Amino acid sequence: MAKILFFGGKGGVGKTSCSTAYAIANAKKGKKTLLVSTDPAHSISDLFNINIGSSITYVNENLFGIEIDPKKESEEYINQIKSNLSDIISPIILEEINKQLDMASVSPGSHESALFDKIVEIVLDETEQFDTIIFDTAPTGHTIRLLSLPELLSGWMDLLIKKRKKGISFKKMINKKQNEDPVLEILNRRKIRFERARILFVEDKDVTFKFVTNAEKMPIEETKKSIILLNKYGINVSSIIINKILPDESNDEFWKNKKDKEKKHILKLKNEMPNYEYIQIPLYNSDMDEENINLMANYIFNII
Amino acid sequence: MRYIILFFKNLALFFKGAFDFQNKATNHISNEADALDDQFFLLCFGDYLGLDLPTTYYALELLPYLGEDIEKWQKRMNSQKSIWEQKAGQLDMDP
Repeated sequence: MAKILFFGGKGGVGKTSCSTAYAIANAKKGKKTLLVSTDPAHSISDLFNINIGSSITYVNENLFGIEIDPKKESEEYINQIKSNLSDIISPIILEEINKQLDMASVSPGSHESALFDKIVEIVLDETEQFDTIIFDTAPTGHTIRLLSLPELLSGWMDLLIKKRKKGISFKKMINKKQNEDPVLEILNRRKIRFERARILFVEDKDVTFKFVTNAEKMPIEETKKSIILLNKYGINVSSIIINKILPDESNDEFWKNKKDKEKKHILKLKNEMPNYEYIQIPLYNSDMDEENINLMANYIFNII
Repeated sequence: MRYIILFFKNLALFFKGAFDFQNKATNHISNEADALDDQFFLLCFGDYLGLDLPTTYYALELLPYLGEDIEKWQKRMNSQKSIWEQKAGQLDMDP
């Protein structure tokens, strides 16, 4: 069973840098690590300076990456359905259904569902292959919704299964011959997967959330709200990562002032949310790229 | 004599119509099964009617197996002039 880590937080706080550096550090400790990017604006390829696609790609020793492409996933799903269609129903309805499927494949809801589907697939199917699976998520609101989906969806599947079963039992009563129902089979298979994902996300202690924030008022406020929300959904938040900590020594009045404010913010946050592990990462004086990500990774390597 | 035979034939038909429990019970169940199908389709594909359902994407893969039933569903929905008429019909109260 792999340990599963989600990195979340407000936009721009450094989720991708932190999760990537963490993944590198984790791999250096000898743990086989998979870094999964779920943000539609993928940037882990840029950080590693190699092309990571929508399938699991080797990056470095013990380190693998994948960038989920929801558009591609939903297209594959729709094509799979289309290939099932051809040998089952009459050509007239076929055309109508094909039209509906094409419409569905471009709707925004489909991309979210496809992304969620892929996350569930990775979490359930890759867990034996890796020691750690790290998710670099899209900004907060989106992620919280995503993590609450298994509960919602397995409830819906229950409802659909109940209705379908009842309908079939009525048809049996009036002697319409009923074979094994493929619809029920599909619904049950889905339900089992959602249920497993729900148990994993909510009850399993091997799935934890690491919240990335900056020592400024707005990201901290959002962090507090989000952690309360995540706890409400029963998702286990283990650490708060405070990224971009300013250097201590400065003669400049402007930076001294800023550093004082930062210290106050950090102290206040730690007082208000005392039960979390805090990881503080310094601000680097250069852009995050192939080289500098390793500086950050080494820093994390020494503290984890 | 002819009239008497006709009378009895009609009388038999009357009783058959009035007390045909077998047939009526089947009709009731059949209607109920259709109604359940309708609800099921609505829950799966309500998106096309503007209902924002979280399961829309996952219901798509049911289409190959439901295609023909959906056609029946559409026909039922199109031929249904009023919900009162339908319910009255089920309860034998022709309005």
